[in-house]
Amino acid sequence: MENGIRLAERGSAWLRAGGGLDEALRRFGWFYCGAEFCENLLPTPGWYAREAEFFLGRGAAVCLLTPPVSEKGLKVLRPVFRGLARLARAAAGRIEVTVNDLGALQLARETAPELALNAGRLIYDNVLLADRRKLKVLNGEAVRLFASLGVDRFEISTTGRQQETNFGDAKAYGFRPSDIALTLHYPYLNLTSGRSCVTGMPDIGPEDSPAGVACRRECAACAFELSHPSINEPLTVRGNTVFLKFPAKFYRNADTLRRRRIDRLVYSPFP
Amino acid sequence: MRLVSCYADRSEIAPLVKAGADELYASARGLPSFTQAGLPDMRSLLLAVDEIHSLGAKALVAMNAVRPARNEAGMRTILARARSLEARGADGFIVAAPSLMSLFSGGGIKVPLHISSVQPCFNTAALRFFLRFGAKRLILPSQLAPREAGDLMRLCRAEGLETEIFDYRFFGCVYVNGRCNLHFPRFHTVKRDFNGGSLCRLSGGTPLKAAPVDIRPGAEEQVKASARRVALRMGCGGAPRFYNAATFYDFFGMGTGWLKYGTRLDPTAEKVRKVRAMKAMAGLAEELTAKHGAAEARQRFIEKMTKWELR
Repeated sequence: MENGIRLAERGSAWLRAGGGLDEALRRFGWFYCGAEFCENLLPTPGWYAREAEFFLGRGAAVCLLTPPVSEKGLKVLRPVFRGLARLARAAAGRIEVTVNDLGALQLARETAPELALNAGRLIYDNVLLADRRKLKVLNGEAVRLFASLGVDRFEISTTGRQQETNFGDAKAYGFRPSDIALTLHYPYLNLTSGRSCVTGMPDIGPEDSPAGVACRRECAACAFELSHPSINEPLTVRGNTVFLKFPAKFYRNADTLRRRRIDRLVYSPFP
Repeated sequence: MRLVSCYADRSEIAPLVKAGADELYASARGLPSFTQAGLPDMRSLLLAVDEIHSLGAKALVAMNAVRPARNEAGMRTILARARSLEARGADGFIVAAPSLMSLFSGGGIKVPLHISSVQPCFNTAALRFFLRFGAKRLILPSQLAPREAGDLMRLCRAEGLETEIFDYRFFGCVYVNGRCNLHFPRFHTVKRDFNGGSLCRLSGGTPLKAAPVDIRPGAEEQVKASARRVALRMGCGGAPRFYNAATFYDFFGMGTGWLKYGTRLDPTAEKVRKVRAMKAMAGLAEELTAKHGAAEARQRFIEKMTKWELR
């Protein structure tokens, strides 16, 4: 089982500032850096390249996270993908890019066909059905389509301990179990995301035609825990996304994960 | 601007066309729809296509589930049903799942595909992704503002795609609605006294308690302001919505061709009322623009629509 840590847009600076870099390098093989849910948090192409070089230079592997994007974000992603593709040539198997937008997927294929791409937590459900009780491939057509785009790893979060799968019947569904690999993010499950931001975006009057998501990076100051009047579990809000925190014990052992094609765990120290 | 309306029963077809709908859409049991409100079976849907055509309108079919079928046999069944709808003369399929688009384009379906807002297209690269399947209309997600959509609209025009927006008064998920796992309890559990409804749309007006965690040192003042905002918004419908009178007029001015109403669970009288209101709004935008030119018409339109909303 591979292990990773999600540093999001805080990147290696967060580990260095907290004094946890050496321990993290011992504990984790994969470092997940970049913005996953909001294009306003997209770092610069230079930042992505520096983060990749930083971890590759210390013998680790790195996965660069990218969010859903409007045209504004696409302009940032183009040089990001090109820069990472140059690094990937020298570090094959140790650089991946996660996309959370079908446009980002398309752009990556157009600009950097050699990059290893993962379908992120906002688009995996084009291929997989996941809930508390099930973790299933939707159909072979979906697997084949994403394979033709170079995507065979899917990132998920799920609370289910004993999920029913259809991986054993893969042939009938028109795929091979080896066609897919899963990365499981824990302990925060992203329940829902908007583009407009709960935390920071100013109110919009009937005469206002917004230019986009106004942002002063309020989400960088903190997250919020809150209790929903109809939901048992506490929720956590950061920026434009509402999370559910997993129960402490969310799987029995590594074998139960491997049976679900999960071969990588990614820990988030913060939502 | 032309109007497209949902319907959920064949008895709604005639009154909705009379109210001004140019296109009508529905789904039926056995088809992969985002919501299950629809006709009871394929036979009813095929008859509905005939009825809509007999009234001079166009008939669309919603097959916009993100998760269309859970095995190969299910996909074959959907393809067979799509073929029978095509043979009957269906004018468009509203789709969201790339696997279904791939199935239809590979299976020789020629019915125009409309990209559902449930599969949000926020940028021109995403549109290029969908063009490989032969998409003919883009239904813009309401989480994208018109001032962000200029390039997308231009690419639609260049590629010959029609464009469509939702009426801001009758629809407005702030979360990306095809991706919302808060709406239904798929991962979380609900309290015993929960009486149903959308968990993502709290509107009781009571702020929720929001306790800051993972606080950045020195950000205490910013945290206080954000805490008030989060508490209020999470208890009262969520983050601000992009769509309003101004954004409607801006999309209208950008040449958006279609205006949609899609609350399939509304009663018939409510559907008819809303289609009439859409027709009035589109007519007002056209009339004011013809009379005053775009800049002045925009201001007058916003003022008038805002007054309407306050009634």
